[in-house]
Amino acid sequence: MNLTSSTVNGWFAIHVDGQVDSKTVTSLRDFIDEQITEQQPVVLDLTKVPFMSSAGLRTLLTLHRRTQQLSTDLALVGLVEGIAETMRVTGFYDYFVIYPDLAALPGRS
Amino acid sequence: MQLERIDSLPTDEISGLRVRPGKPLPFGVSHAPNGLNFSIYTSAGTACTLVLFRRGEEQPFAELPFPAHYRIGDVFCMVVFDLDYEGIEYGFRIDGPQDPVAGHRFDASKVLMDPYARAISGRDQWGEAPNWQALYPYRACVSLDDFDWEAERPLEIPSQDLVVYEAHVRAYTQSDSSGVKHPGTYAGLVEKIPYLKDLGVNAIELMPIYEFDEFENSRLHPDTGELLYNFWGYSTVGFFAPKANFAATGRFGMQVDEFKQLVKSFHRAGIEVILDVVFNHTAEGNEHGPTLSFKGLDNKTYYMLTPEGYYFNFSGTGNTLNCNNPIVRNLVLDCLRYWAAEYHIDGFRFDLATILGRDPWGAPLPNPPLLESLAFDPILSSCKLIAEAWDAGGLYQVGTFPAFGRWGEWNGKYRDCLRRYLKGDGAQVGQLAQRVQGSPDLYQPSGRSPATSVNFITCHDGFTLADLVSYNDKHNEANGEGNRDGGDDNYSWNCGAEGWTDNPGIQALRLRQSMNAMVMLLTSRGTPMLLMGDEFGRSQHGNNNAYCLDSAISWVDWTLLQENAQLHDFVRGLIHFRHAHPALRVNRFDAPPSNLFPDCSFHGVNAWQPDWSADSRQLAWMFSTNSDSQPAGGDTVDVGTVDVDTVYVASNMAHYASWFSFPDLPAGFRWHLCFNTGNGDQPFDLSQPAQGDGGILLGDRSVLVLTAKPV
Repeated sequence: MNLTSSTVNGWFAIHVDGQVDSKTVTSLRDFIDEQITEQQPVVLDLTKVPFMSSAGLRTLLTLHRRTQQLSTDLALVGLVEGIAETMRVTGFYDYFVIYPDLAALPGRS
Repeated sequence: MQLERIDSLPTDEISGLRVRPGKPLPFGVSHAPNGLNFSIYTSAGTACTLVLFRRGEEQPFAELPFPAHYRIGDVFCMVVFDLDYEGIEYGFRIDGPQDPVAGHRFDASKVLMDPYARAISGRDQWGEAPNWQALYPYRACVSLDDFDWEAERPLEIPSQDLVVYEAHVRAYTQSDSSGVKHPGTYAGLVEKIPYLKDLGVNAIELMPIYEFDEFENSRLHPDTGELLYNFWGYSTVGFFAPKANFAATGRFGMQVDEFKQLVKSFHRAGIEVILDVVFNHTAEGNEHGPTLSFKGLDNKTYYMLTPEGYYFNFSGTGNTLNCNNPIVRNLVLDCLRYWAAEYHIDGFRFDLATILGRDPWGAPLPNPPLLESLAFDPILSSCKLIAEAWDAGGLYQVGTFPAFGRWGEWNGKYRDCLRRYLKGDGAQVGQLAQRVQGSPDLYQPSGRSPATSVNFITCHDGFTLADLVSYNDKHNEANGEGNRDGGDDNYSWNCGAEGWTDNPGIQALRLRQSMNAMVMLLTSRGTPMLLMGDEFGRSQHGNNNAYCLDSAISWVDWTLLQENAQLHDFVRGLIHFRHAHPALRVNRFDAPPSNLFPDCSFHGVNAWQPDWSADSRQLAWMFSTNSDSQPAGGDTVDVGTVDVDTVYVASNMAHYASWFSFPDLPAGFRWHLCFNTGNGDQPFDLSQPAQGDGGILLGDRSVLVLTAKPV
């Protein structure tokens, strides 16, 4: 799994490339912990994530809690249909603001 | 500074893994600081080895023998550090005596599944042929139990207010006609919640969802070659684990989350979830069956054994779980507490529950400790406990099941009486009067209430409602047992032709009989239960024991919902009528009279004059109650300063029409006709019920329902 970041339309974007599971989830969590701040909304770009295991989905949910505490907005983009459907039937989907892709993000100053 | 616990660090290394002595409780696997705690009980085993696999790999990557000081009493326990909890599967080898006569069947060559496994892998795809030679077929996995329930909690709907709907997860949506995205799964069932909510049921009772083996006793049909399964699943592999291949996400090991999401979704729709649980036996069979778990862990503890070391067979399936052994009792209690606390399950229906009241030698106990423990358990205190109060060993306890004021019962006598009355048997009206008021003959002497009685006419076991009115005899050829399996005491009547017919008269009579059954069921006091699809005429083509059929015979055919829309709308109307009428849901046998009428009264063609003779096939019953608090959408009427609800039901199972005179109402009231199955054009109208006069000519084999309303 490879992680990079950029700023898109006022959002702090974290681009994830590769499978998110119990083996890679720690580096994702550490990366996020170091980077997110109270000021800037965060978007996780999952366009290049083919699969997310139970541990991966749990990390998304803990990230959601973390950003809630910071009063920071969190959004997901680029979910492949398989992951989205897994999230729907296990209830994870309901917690997130989701956009189809980065271009669909509403602008933030 | 955060204090670091001493036990967060390992003390030893075994097979290349860092470990330390563990905690004996809880049994199974639990999360410890920096590691996983494994705990397993065996009273007669002499040595134990923890066997660890990477997910899906045939051979283990590590075997860790427990050192002597890792054993406390009869429990081996160990914390293993640095495990990828998501990627491992675990089992145990137990060494000990191989002495079947003494009850011991230890075999260290087998890898055994943890009986406390909260998730089980190895069979993640339904119907995928297993590797019969696998070293470890059912694999215990680690689950996190960190589901976010938000503010959701069990619904705690009073039993008398429930309308229960019995369903099989796979059968309900496996057919293409279901139109769901995930056929045959928990997720598919969730997609049907809007339908169930609209129907009006407020509890779903799921046939077994604990991990079971659909290949147990699987075989080919001798004539057709069709593969026959253990489709129903009344044979448990793991009591703590939801069946993985009922989950759309089972291949990702997420069945726990998916099933919890199911419960959460049902609760949000106001529908309780009741589980059909099978504690009377396991999937290990008798001495010829496989060794999966209990048999190799501590055979003598978990099973009822004859003095020669063979398996008692009160379940009719090979073995009998030794439920009143204290170790097994705790297993059952731990299991139910887990499902109640961790899954928010609202109730349990216990298959062949009388076995739970037998002592280790099979004799019925007067005060069974297990049943008592369950009845008084603090975590289960708001869960429904429902017994199937008989077993295959001949013990029949309908009405006498040791209830401790808590247990309800599937009322088999209700089913038989209602079926016989429906088909026109004589000498039924006396018993019918007992049945429709909640069976006081069975439950009042021991201080129990009407809602003790789960009333049903059909369930998974036996004919569907459509078949009950279309077949005189069972037609179980598809089961491959020469039509010898399944019950013969069906009390069914085919209305003039066996099976399919294009005779419109017979078709109309069958529809009417289906409606008659539903009216009587849903206007009886007690807790009514419907079988999935009966509301739109689901048929198994005369098969009354489709336990082995993963086929269109078992699957709900949703095209019937359109085809039999009239029946569906009728049943839907009845269910909503029941919710609106507290008189039908009074949960006392000694309720006081209302301001209009006695709490419960019986009538014949003439009001206040029931005909109890053996030839009588006509009975009317009237329930009336003052209700202090009118339920939402209620239909009670104000009499003076209190609300009174009155429902009158007249049933005519004779083959001729009769004039029924209604009980006189005080001035200012009139009867309103809500249902009349004898009126084929319009069997019900709840929006503008017709006003009834002093009586009505009720057609042959017909039932009507009236309520009293002010003019």
